[in-house]
Amino acid sequence: MVRMMAGLGGALILAGGMAHAQDGTSDTEALLGQSWDEIVEAARGGEVNVFMWGGADNINAYVSDYIGGLLEEDYGITLNRVPLTDTAEAVNIVLGEVEAGAKAGAVDMIWINGENFRTMKQGDLAWCGYVDKLPNAALVNFDNPAIANDFGTPVEGCEVPWSRVQFAFAHDTARTDAPPRSIPELLGWAEANPGRFTYPAPPDFTGAAFVRHVFTHFAGGADALIGPFDQARFDEVAAETWQILNDLEPSLWREGATYPTSITQLQQMFANQEVDLFFTYDPAEVGTAVVNGIFPETAQSYGLTDGTLANTNYMVIPVNAANKAAAMVTQNLLLSGEAQLEKAQPDVWGAATVIEPDRASQEVQAGFAALERHPSVVSIEELGQAALPELQADWTSAIEDGWIANVGN
Amino acid sequence: MIGRGHPWLSLAPALGVTAVLFGGGLVLGLMGSFGMGRGGFTFDAWSAVLSEGRVWRSLGLSLWIAFASTALACVIGLGAALLLRRRFPGQGLARLLFQINLTIPHAVGALGILWLLSQSGFLARLSAGTGLIDGPAGFPALTQDRYAIGIIAHYVWKEVPFIGLILLANMQSLGDDPEAAARSLGASPFAAMRLVLLPLLRPALIRAGAIVFAFSFGAWEVPVLLGQSAPTALPVLAWQRFTDPDLAARPEAMALAMLIALVSALLIRAAFAGRS
Repeated sequence: MVRMMAGLGGALILAGGMAHAQDGTSDTEALLGQSWDEIVEAARGGEVNVFMWGGADNINAYVSDYIGGLLEEDYGITLNRVPLTDTAEAVNIVLGEVEAGAKAGAVDMIWINGENFRTMKQGDLAWCGYVDKLPNAALVNFDNPAIANDFGTPVEGCEVPWSRVQFAFAHDTARTDAPPRSIPELLGWAEANPGRFTYPAPPDFTGAAFVRHVFTHFAGGADALIGPFDQARFDEVAAETWQILNDLEPSLWREGATYPTSITQLQQMFANQEVDLFFTYDPAEVGTAVVNGIFPETAQSYGLTDGTLANTNYMVIPVNAANKAAAMVTQNLLLSGEAQLEKAQPDVWGAATVIEPDRASQEVQAGFAALERHPSVVSIEELGQAALPELQADWTSAIEDGWIANVGN
Repeated sequence: MIGRGHPWLSLAPALGVTAVLFGGGLVLGLMGSFGMGRGGFTFDAWSAVLSEGRVWRSLGLSLWIAFASTALACVIGLGAALLLRRRFPGQGLARLLFQINLTIPHAVGALGILWLLSQSGFLARLSAGTGLIDGPAGFPALTQDRYAIGIIAHYVWKEVPFIGLILLANMQSLGDDPEAAARSLGASPFAAMRLVLLPLLRPALIRAGAIVFAFSFGAWEVPVLLGQSAPTALPVLAWQRFTDPDLAARPEAMALAMLIALVSALLIRAAFAGRS
């Protein structure tokens, strides 16, 4: 039913897209041969249809009002934000169009990462090879493996990074003054403090991410797991990881007989002092919990010396986008120091930047340095010094299933 | 009656809703469990589900929760109804207090149980305050526990008034006459209750118990809030499969949901058959 409705919506959007896709910039080869100034001129006065998850008012306002306003003012480009509940819907529209041979597609840009990007790249649905054309791409360190790989899939110039999130741990400085700062330290700490640590059972998203940290550690680091799924390698690492996690159980909350079933439950248990460590894929959440009075003022988030998983989200241009020039101008604007700084303001969105601030202008650097952060939230710079790339979807689901079958029972 | 057509005609709107919403959902779920709509017709999902140890452990847990909750709710509900039937000062207030939690949603009740019984809940804090325990771990595990005590406590708390209310209404329509007749023929009060009243109440008790059983066996929100991570109650397992990013798990979710409906229907059928 949902799929039918999405298909119907897609057809309507498609019909609308056909009507206004006439600015002729879908001639991809010609576009790549042009200079940036020529591309900007081609884009001027056009429009760009951005398909993105629409579930947060502050994010919607940032894109529609701030980015849309600048595009209109500086380039006369109209930004149409098309809200989605699931990014896969936009991927399905592009897939349908490409299969039907539509050259001027309705989707000019999608906010994307992970499995959806993999689907687009594998299906040749993503437009690649244009990223060097964007002047602001110089602000991004594309050699950073956490940016060069989107959940393990090499980006290879097929999408442009937009924001980052990174896993962090949290402790209460009043209760635990020396929290464990690496996975081996954590395992030792849990044994020395029986009953004071646990993690949500996968398939909880955050619990599964914690298990991936342990798995990555026993694989010998993130580099060992980059790339496609490798059954032999998985079996070898999994045997050791499940052994360690099973051996750890007597030291866990409730002797590991059961695990919290959600990250919310772990948050409450940390707040109620049932356990001494908390972790989250969004460190800003620790600050919010302190502001809301759930966590004490002495709660503090921190990173690990051997790194924590990070993932980056991106903007992709479909291979059949009708308004590629306008989409490129939009992506360039999204990557500008000013737009990234605005996005990082806690009262705007608080999203971590993907650019290297020291490559941006003095004003932007000063702006990033002056960003106000809740004192309980670990700084992005400190956290970012040791970031691990996320694994490919086949790895993550195998690790999840393996944990459930071997540890969680 | 049927030949004249009127009752069927009048019932058509109500039956239509049941047929479309319930029957339709059931048929679509059944088709989904055979992988129909995803190309072809296979028993893969059913064989995967039925050969999985986790599913059987979850089934066992769900049966335990449903049987224990139903039995306790029936016994306590019956006792309460027998007491509330008498006339005593403040009877109206007592009945109101007895029924009041019928209006509270299950999810809210489950959160209440969590706040009351968990290891950092109200009772645990009280025990810590009076020096009975030194920390959360010292309090017995009554939620997210192996025996599903929290889940059963919630269902009993919630369903006792339901059973009691149905029995009270039943006793009102029976009146005092059957018991009075037995007493006048020389039966003791206890014998009159055991040999006359209880057999008369039995059909209503079985019907009410069947509703409680079906609910506590098939509901998701209480075990998801109060249950342990493994084994999970069968509905929680079905929901996990349903929300798996891997769409191939969808037919298994449907098969699990159908399994819940099937087991529930068979057991309730058996309960009614045992009555006659």
